[in-house]
Amino acid sequence: MAMKPSARPEARGRRIRRTRMFPLWALLLGALVMALIGTSPYYGGTDSYVVQLIGKFLCFAIFALSIDLIWGFTGILSLGQAVYFGIGAYFVALSMKINYTLTHPTRYGGKIPDFMEWNGLTELPGFMEPLMSTPIAIIGALVVPTLLALFFGVITFKRHIYGVYCAVITLAESLILQDFIIEYQAYTGGFNGITDYGNIREPAFLWFIIAVTVAFFIIARFLTHSRIGTVLKSVRDNDVRAQFMGYNVANYRIFVFCVSAFMSAAAGAMYAAWVGIVSFLDTGPLFSVEAVVWTAVGGRATLIGPFVGAFLVRGLEFMLSGSWFADYWQFFIGALFIAVVLWIPDGIVGSIGNWLRKRRTGSVRQIREDADQRAHDQQRDWEPAGARKPGEEVV
Amino acid sequence: MLSERATTLQTTNLWLIALGAAVALLVVLVATGTITISQRYISQMMIGVSVAAILVIAAVGLAIIFGVAGVINMAHGQFIMVGAYTAAVVGQLGGNTFVAIPVAFAVVALLGLIVERGIIQWIYDRPLETLLATWGVGIILEVLVKVIFGPELYYVGAPRMLDGGIRLIGRLPYPYYRLFLIGMAILMLAVTFYLVFKTNFGLKVRAVRRNRAMAGSLGINTARIDMLIFMFGSGLAGVAGAVLAPIKSVSTTMGFSYAVDSYMVIVLGGVGNLLGVPTGAFIIGEAETLIATGTNSVIGKLLVFVFIVVAIRIVPRGIFGYQERR
Repeated sequence: MAMKPSARPEARGRRIRRTRMFPLWALLLGALVMALIGTSPYYGGTDSYVVQLIGKFLCFAIFALSIDLIWGFTGILSLGQAVYFGIGAYFVALSMKINYTLTHPTRYGGKIPDFMEWNGLTELPGFMEPLMSTPIAIIGALVVPTLLALFFGVITFKRHIYGVYCAVITLAESLILQDFIIEYQAYTGGFNGITDYGNIREPAFLWFIIAVTVAFFIIARFLTHSRIGTVLKSVRDNDVRAQFMGYNVANYRIFVFCVSAFMSAAAGAMYAAWVGIVSFLDTGPLFSVEAVVWTAVGGRATLIGPFVGAFLVRGLEFMLSGSWFADYWQFFIGALFIAVVLWIPDGIVGSIGNWLRKRRTGSVRQIREDADQRAHDQQRDWEPAGARKPGEEVV
Repeated sequence: MLSERATTLQTTNLWLIALGAAVALLVVLVATGTITISQRYISQMMIGVSVAAILVIAAVGLAIIFGVAGVINMAHGQFIMVGAYTAAVVGQLGGNTFVAIPVAFAVVALLGLIVERGIIQWIYDRPLETLLATWGVGIILEVLVKVIFGPELYYVGAPRMLDGGIRLIGRLPYPYYRLFLIGMAILMLAVTFYLVFKTNFGLKVRAVRRNRAMAGSLGINTARIDMLIFMFGSGLAGVAGAVLAPIKSVSTTMGFSYAVDSYMVIVLGGVGNLLGVPTGAFIIGEAETLIATGTNSVIGKLLVFVFIVVAIRIVPRGIFGYQERR
C-alpha cells in the first residue's frame, strides 16, 4: 500500500518506515533456488523422487505460510487449518479420479471410481457430476474453503470468540471432517483415501507450483508490509486498543482468515494434483497442528520462517525415515513442540533476525530507549495540523 | 467488573429459566400424555444420560484446570489414556476398577506434577503456547506408552459385581456399568464441588480464580495453587481413564477424541463455573444420542458441533461462563 510521501512536515512522525517490496536477498535466494533446481541432475527424470519431494514441500510451505498469516501476524491460532487444505485437495483428487476412470475404462470395469464400486455404487452420484469438469473442480477447490472460512469467521470473530476458544473449535471442526470422510467412504474413499488417479508428474508442473508459491509469498509480503499488515499486527498485540482506534477488528480477522483459507486450499489442490494420494489424514487435526509447528519452528511473524520450518521438519523426517529413528519420529516432533515453546519462541528465522538486529542496533533495551527518545523528540515539536508555521503567509 | 458480572449473571439466569421452563414443559406434557414419546426414544434418552456421564467424567478434570489455572491442557486425552493403561496394569495384577481408581489418580496426578513443574510453570502467561507445549507432551506420552506397552489393544473387564444389568421400560437392557458411570460422574462432580466450595483450599482456589494479583498480594501462593489444581485435574483425568477403560478398548490413541469432546463440553457449558460441565455434557450427550438414532454418529457429531457453534454465537461465554473469552 503505497502511502504518498507527505509534503507536510508535521506528518513526519506518522510515516512508517518503508521496507522494500523485493529485498535483494530474497531475489538472490530465489534465483539460487531456481538455478539449483534447473541444473539439478534429478530434474531431468520425470519419476525422480527429489523433484516430487520439492513440489510436495512447497505445498506444505504454502500451507505453513497461510497459518503464519493468521497466527504469526494476526494472533488467531487455528488448529483446523487442514480442513481448508483437505477440502481443496479432495475437490481436485475426486475430479481427477472421476476423469481418470472415464479415460481408462479398461482398467476399471465400470465408469465410476474404484472406491465407489467397492461400496456398492453403480453410477456417479448426481452431486458429483459437476466435478467431471476440471475448471469447476478447481473453482470449487478454491471457493468452497474460502466461503467456509468466511462463514466460520463471521460466526466466531464477530462475537469476539478467538484465542483458545477458536483453537478448540477449529480443532473439533477438523476432527469432525475427518470422521465424516471416514464414514462416507463411498464418496470419499474413506480410510484408504483416493489414490491412483494419474497425478501430474511433469516437471513443468513443479514450475507452476514454484510460481504459485512466489505469488503467494508476494501477496503475503504485500499484505503484511502494508497498512493492513500494521493493523493486523496491532490486532494481534492489543485488539482492544486497535478497536478503540476505530478499526473493525472482527472484519480484519475475517479477512485474513479467508485469505489464509484460500492459500491453504490452493496448497491442498496443488498437493493433490502433484502427489497423487489424498487421505483423511490430510484434513485431520494432527496435520493441522504439525503445520503450526513448522511455522513455530521456522519463526512466526516472519514470511520466510514457514518455508524454513516446513522444509526443515519435513526434510528431516524424510532423511530419517529409513533409519531406526523413524519409530521415534513422533517423539521427536513432540519434543520439538516443547523445545520451541520453551526456548525458541521466535523460531529459527525470528531468532536469527533478533540476533542480527541486536548486532546492528544494540540490545533490545537500547532500541527501546532510542525509540522512546525519538518519540519524545517528536512529541516536543508536535503541533496541530492546522497550525501556522512562523513566517507563513496568511492570506 | 462488578457490573459486568451482574449483567452476565442476569443473562445466565434468563438462560437457566428458559432451559428449565422448556424441560418442565416437556415433562408435564409427557406426564399428562399430551405428547407421547415412543419407547425407543426414551431408551435412547437413557443412553444419552450415560453418554453425558462419560462426558462429565472426562471433562471435569479439564474444566478445573482450564477454569482455575487457565491452562489449555491438550494432553488431557493422553492423561486419560495413561489412566486407562494404569487400570489395565492393575487388572493384570488382579485388581479391579475399584482398586484402579485410586492408583490411576495417584499415577496421573504425579504425571501432572511432573508436567507442571517441568514445562507449564514457565509459560502460564502464554496460553496459546501452553496449548502447543501440552500437545507436545501428549504426543510424547503416546509414544512412550506405545514403547512400553506395545501397539496391541488392551481390554479391561468391568468388576464382577457390575456385570449384568437392569431392565428399563420397554424391556431395554441397561447394564449396571452404565449406572456405575452415572454414579461416578455424580461422585466426581460432588468431590470437586466439595473441594472448591467447602474447603480452605477451595477458598484460595476461588480467590486465585477471581483475581490472581489480589489473591497473591493477600499472601496466597498462587503458583502453588496452580500446581495443586493441575495435579488434582490430572488425577481426575486418571480416574476418568480407569473408569472408562472397561467400555473402550485401551489403546494409545483412545484419549484424543475424549479431550476434544471435553473441550466442547466446556466451551458450551462455560469456563470457570463447574455447573457448566454437567449442563454442557447433558445437552451434548442427549443431542448426540438422539440425532444418532435417526442417522449415524457422524451426523450426530456434526450437527452437535454446528449447534455448539451457533450456541456460542448466542452465549459467547458458554451457558454458565462469566469471564471474558480470550
